[in-house]
Amino acid sequence: MSSNGIDQLRVLEQQFAKELPSVVDQRSLEDIRSRYLSRKSGLLSIQLQGMRSLPAADRAEFGRIANELKTHIESALDELQTSIVERTKNAKLLTETIDVTLPGNRQRLGHRHPLTIVWKEIEDIFVAMGYSIEQGPEVESTYYNFDALNTPPAHPARDPRDTFYIAENVVLRTHTSPVQIRTMEKMKPPVRIICPGKVFRRDAFDPTHSPMFHQVEGLLVDEGVTFADMKGTLERFHKSFFGEATQTRLRPSFFPFTEPSAEVDISCVSCGGTGCRNCKGTGWIEVMGCGMVHPALFRNVGYDPDRYTGFAFGGGIERYAKLRYNVEDLQLYFQNDMRFLEQF
Amino acid sequence: MKISLNWLKEFVDIPDDAQGFGRKATGVGLAVDAIEATATDTVYEFDITTNRPDCLNHLGMARETSAIYGTAVRPPKFEIREADEDADNVFSIEIADADLCGRYCGRYIEGVKIGPSPDWLKSRLEALGQRSINNVADVTNFVMLELGQPLHAFDADTLHNQQIIVRRAGVDEKITTLDGQERTLNPSILVIADADRPAAIAGVMGGADTEISSKTSNVLLESAYFFPNGIRKTARSLGMSTEASYRYERGGDIEIARYACDRAAALIQQVAGGRIYRGVIDVYPEKRKPVTARLRRRRIKEFLGEAVPDEVVNRIFQRLGFQTTPTEDGWSVEVPSYRVDVSLEEDLLEEIARHHGYDKFPPTLPPFAGSGASLPYEREERELRTILSAGGYSETYGLSFAEESTERKFRPDVEPVRLLNPMSEEWTIMRTSLVPSILTAVQWNMHRGNRDLQLYELGKIYYSGGERRSLILASTGALRSKTVGEAEKDFDFYDLKGDVERVLEAFDVDLRTTREGLPGYYHPGRSAKIGDVAVFGELHPDYADFIKPRQRVYLAELDVDHILRSRKLFQTQPLPRHPSIRRDVSLLFDRSIEYTAVRDVIENVGIRELVRFEPFDRLEKGPFPDSKYSISISLIYQSPDRTLTDNEVDAFDRKILDLLKQRLGAQLRT
Repeated sequence: MSSNGIDQLRVLEQQFAKELPSVVDQRSLEDIRSRYLSRKSGLLSIQLQGMRSLPAADRAEFGRIANELKTHIESALDELQTSIVERTKNAKLLTETIDVTLPGNRQRLGHRHPLTIVWKEIEDIFVAMGYSIEQGPEVESTYYNFDALNTPPAHPARDPRDTFYIAENVVLRTHTSPVQIRTMEKMKPPVRIICPGKVFRRDAFDPTHSPMFHQVEGLLVDEGVTFADMKGTLERFHKSFFGEATQTRLRPSFFPFTEPSAEVDISCVSCGGTGCRNCKGTGWIEVMGCGMVHPALFRNVGYDPDRYTGFAFGGGIERYAKLRYNVEDLQLYFQNDMRFLEQF
Repeated sequence: MKISLNWLKEFVDIPDDAQGFGRKATGVGLAVDAIEATATDTVYEFDITTNRPDCLNHLGMARETSAIYGTAVRPPKFEIREADEDADNVFSIEIADADLCGRYCGRYIEGVKIGPSPDWLKSRLEALGQRSINNVADVTNFVMLELGQPLHAFDADTLHNQQIIVRRAGVDEKITTLDGQERTLNPSILVIADADRPAAIAGVMGGADTEISSKTSNVLLESAYFFPNGIRKTARSLGMSTEASYRYERGGDIEIARYACDRAAALIQQVAGGRIYRGVIDVYPEKRKPVTARLRRRRIKEFLGEAVPDEVVNRIFQRLGFQTTPTEDGWSVEVPSYRVDVSLEEDLLEEIARHHGYDKFPPTLPPFAGSGASLPYEREERELRTILSAGGYSETYGLSFAEESTERKFRPDVEPVRLLNPMSEEWTIMRTSLVPSILTAVQWNMHRGNRDLQLYELGKIYYSGGERRSLILASTGALRSKTVGEAEKDFDFYDLKGDVERVLEAFDVDLRTTREGLPGYYHPGRSAKIGDVAVFGELHPDYADFIKPRQRVYLAELDVDHILRSRKLFQTQPLPRHPSIRRDVSLLFDRSIEYTAVRDVIENVGIRELVRFEPFDRLEKGPFPDSKYSISISLIYQSPDRTLTDNEVDAFDRKILDLLKQRLGAQLRT
């Protein structure tokens, strides 16, 4: 009899195991739960009611097994419950599926002008090297634009065919060098400055000329500044701007305000120096002019040329932007065509 | 400047190939623009800087080449066979204006036979792109290309009174030059005259009446030195530039004039026969004084960064024709007459650096103590640009030049900066406003089919006596085009005002909106000012006629430098510990009442607990008279020290409502 009771529990357990896989949703789960566990009419409860008819000695054994079965059924159903809830939730989420590959709702994002991007980047590189930014007027006296920069009275740069005049002794500055003089006039060495800004030359617009463009010039004056320092500084700048692999070379040249003077070439940004169309096969691209400050400039601002030496350099912001972004036509910078601007 | 490799090699050995020489020359500052190989020769196109007129000829290039390779220069060898008659017996030369002419050498050659040049002479000239004219003229050109000295040959029989006077031209004196043009002269121009009339414009071009022709038999050969400034002015004022003026403007070699005269006379005799009269008629009023510069040995390292051995220094100077004398601390260096660019110690240092090699000085970084600094308000400016980009605005760079009639329409009250020599009739002044600039950009894009724009420029405007920065925004078309997720939205006044307010709020500018004093190019009903820092609104249709079909264009002009300086220091407030209560009220007002009046009343109502209020709806039509409109306002109440009760808030609402009724005739819409 006692084994019979336990056998029935075993049968019940097998029956549960057989039925469980067919439970797939909340409703069938409730059904099976009440069929087995309902306090009054559950199959397990019915078995337990029969326990009273068992011999006292068998009751404990029967009770233990029945309890185990109960725990087993409960935990199996709880587990199932969890998984059905999860499944139902997932099914609901799936019905909410949208096409995530459609583009998002976007607010229009504006674009910075390439000249500003390059201008600020150049400033940042030099500020990190200890230079300060200086500015000056664009409508400038001939004294600051020419005389103080050692440009002789008959120098071709002063020709009204090349320079815009406002009055006999007032011009649109043709370079940002006047700022160097203005800065040296107001401070004693050491001077470490960068002067970016707008400049004007009387050239008609074409892909390589513009009556208005932007320059950045630098000036460093101190005791013991050498030509080698100028080389190192320009090499550092160009590595920072174009990448560490960039080579820099100086080529002798001539400017009235520096002596010695040099053109600054960098290894071609397109081919890296092996020679291509962009560098006309030379491997080098001219980017700047530079030189050791002419002693006449120091005398003009009251510095002792025997005590101080210095170097100056200058290049076009448009040119740096052209090399960085491959801008073929200078006019693109000032047409403000959105098809150009939105590329930045 | 074209240089023939064959010709150059007559004067100096070049132990290098054609490309190699080009690279080396570029390395010492004689930049090679192009190398052209012909069947028998190589021709270099050099870009010679203006300070080096001594390199505008083959002998000068040979000196530089000699310094590059350490090979010796061989100047041309020639012999001059003179007749017994003295030149100064048959011809007289006088310099009347010695401030313009430093030296004039002449030779008289009798009985030449004008004809074509021999092949060797022709091919020399033609290799360098020069046309052969006749044997005598060709010799003068040849010697110029060889030695750098411009020469001129006159038909001596056409010179009246066998006389040369170097003098200023008279007022309106005339000459027909070799190119057939009649030119009117003035006293700033130096001429080579005979007894009666100008025979040549000094240093620029000869006259047609006195030129060598097939009938010429007697030649007066000129080899002169004219001062650079006079030639430059003459060439400019006549609009002429010749091989001769190009060289004289940059600076000739006063000491080579006589040698070149001999060289040319000997060659003329060689190719055209004739008898060279004895002696050079050499008028040289004030002999050039030698130029000497000192060079201190220590300055080489101090200035260039690395010492250069004495023997290298000595060799460079010797090859370039400088005389050096040792001194206690270095050298005393005498500068040759053809090196017009050298007079200072720095110039000598350049010669050393150039020929020792710029690449020989290892790059170093100057020692540094201190810190670099951006411009004041640079950080704020960058933040402003970020705000504008985030708001959809793209940056433009407008031209600083402007058309006066357009500018006057926008800024009739500003005296512009005028150009004395504008490049075109269109751009005669500097812009006085950013408005035409940015409208040009709007127009450019519209004409290219881009009608939805948000642009800005942060740039300078100019006025008589000064210049300052301004900021302008321009918007038009759709703010947002239709997408799957969103409807299309046209840019409108409130979008613009929001963009302006966003900028002002970012920099702590809190000022009132008014309609006072709007410029005439703004739509009178759809534009406003905020304090004196911003003017904005819709462009008046009269000013937007370039846009077809017409669409609304919005502009905002901001005093950017004031705004960037307005940011205040602040400290945070503790977060409120008690909840806020929001009440919405809908009110009817007469159409004449604008929001600013409503705002004034509410702001001054004197309820400390009213922490914020904001209109959120406006109805033009509804269950109320046409003369009225409805506005809904949310009122947010909060107390720092307790939770407000409904009764309290009801009382606040009533107080506000009563005041609005009393001051502005508001009615509660129910």
